[in-house]
Amino acid sequence: MRAGAPRDRARTVSVIDLGGGVSWVHECFPETDAHIHVSVYLVEAPEGAILMDSGSFHHRQRLADRIRDATAGRGIGAIVLSHSDYPHSGNIPAFRRDWGDFEIIASCGDPDLQGLPYARRTKIGDVTEVLGRRFVVLDPPLADRNHTTWVYDEASRTLFVADGFGTLHAPGACDIDWGRIPEDGRAEGVHEFHAQTLPWLRYADPDRVMGALHAMLEKHPPAWIAPIHGPPIAEADVPRYMADLSDALTRIAERN
Amino acid sequence: MNEPGSDTETTPAAAPMPAARTGAGWRRDVWPGIHWIQELGGHRAGIARAVLESGADWYRPGNELYVPQNAYLLTGERTLLWDTLSPASGHILLPALEELLGERPLDYLALSHPDVPHAGNTMQVLRRYPQCQLVAPAAGETHALYHLDDAMKVGPGDEIDLGGLRVRFPEATFLDAAIHTWMSEEATRTLFTVDWMGFPHQSGESLRRTDEIDTVVDVGRLEEFHSRVMFWFQYVHPHKVTAATDALAVQFAGYGLAPAHGLPIPGEDAAPYYERMNEVVRRVAAGGRGGVL
Repeated sequence: MRAGAPRDRARTVSVIDLGGGVSWVHECFPETDAHIHVSVYLVEAPEGAILMDSGSFHHRQRLADRIRDATAGRGIGAIVLSHSDYPHSGNIPAFRRDWGDFEIIASCGDPDLQGLPYARRTKIGDVTEVLGRRFVVLDPPLADRNHTTWVYDEASRTLFVADGFGTLHAPGACDIDWGRIPEDGRAEGVHEFHAQTLPWLRYADPDRVMGALHAMLEKHPPAWIAPIHGPPIAEADVPRYMADLSDALTRIAERN
Repeated sequence: MNEPGSDTETTPAAAPMPAARTGAGWRRDVWPGIHWIQELGGHRAGIARAVLESGADWYRPGNELYVPQNAYLLTGERTLLWDTLSPASGHILLPALEELLGERPLDYLALSHPDVPHAGNTMQVLRRYPQCQLVAPAAGETHALYHLDDAMKVGPGDEIDLGGLRVRFPEATFLDAAIHTWMSEEATRTLFTVDWMGFPHQSGESLRRTDEIDTVVDVGRLEEFHSRVMFWFQYVHPHKVTAATDALAVQFAGYGLAPAHGLPIPGEDAAPYYERMNEVVRRVAAGGRGGVL
């Protein structure tokens, strides 16, 4: 693991440095028996700070405060959206009031219909530049909305993902990366998250889904997988996560 | 050209139900007590190109092609609005509601799911009709993230008696997000299928039911929509999906279909559509995603 990873700083700073100019701004929301992350990530680019998703309105003020702190008051210069689902895009109007009409990079959906007429639409397969930093726009095998896109940050080798790759976690494990979640219950957190969040998995062929994910990770090898709805997954932990995910998809498919 | 109604001058194949232009949008009665409010969105040039390249004979080159958003207003003794169109069409929805309701209240606003193109005018509707009861799917775990924690939750087994119309909330068999429901209306025998059974239409076909257009809604036309919106068909065991479709065909035999992104299909014509959808699934599972919307 690189210097600056969550193991070193998790409890001491308002955002958690993943290295390569990427920080995890973690927030989560209590469900019945567990917490679900609704996080965002900050990416330092040559021309300003990029926010990956905008987070939930529940966390609006705290996110704004932490972003302001992390950027020394400068705020953000752009937002890259995974999709326009409300917990991902709901803070855009407020943040634009705070920090001006910064650029919005929407996912592949029609921005007008998504309520983002001022946004720049991405295209799957493109390499897009945002504030001087390059992102590859990818077709997500694990998504709910059809207009979702994942992006791969070439400089840091971080893969930003939603809604897939999440993990439900126990209260108290809100600010640690996936590899540090206690093994007891961790795989169940992967299973429960995907069973709850992606209902179409009841019809899925796990081999097809996992094959598409492995192909993506081979082509775009991540130093970090950075989910909106789970803790970041370090490169060394990706094989274990993928094994847990494969088991989860199999369980979901076999139950239906 | 996106002027509402600019494409509705063509004489339909069958006698049309009453259609009327509101001050800023379009609506019509589709079945007794069920009023249809349609947002066309812009011309889908990319899909039009794909349709032409496929050799499909239902699309006339040069026509505009739409993948609409539909909302439905149900008026019995009480009233219920099913979905709200996208945020781009508040100027269509609210005048249409005001014209249709007149002095009547809107009693219920029922959301199929909190997706922006379906729920994009929820707050505007609730502000205009402050006594309206918001109705949301019971399914799912994260209602608070969508401001739905205080809504009336509905699911299988629940019914709302509108007085003359009765709506139920069967499980959404094919869906994207977890917070999701379908709706049926039992007096007219109509199933509201949200994102499933959508398809594009062209100039001259807006606000027409499938029995009122000259062109066919075949497997390829359904595939153009579902290979984009239900992108996950590429990852399924097709037999699991077709089994679920076959079960729907039995459960809702004779029901008309009222999708959110296509034209309503009368009940007497609906049966073949289920098998067409089974072929769509087989094609997407074999050939992959067709693109994006």
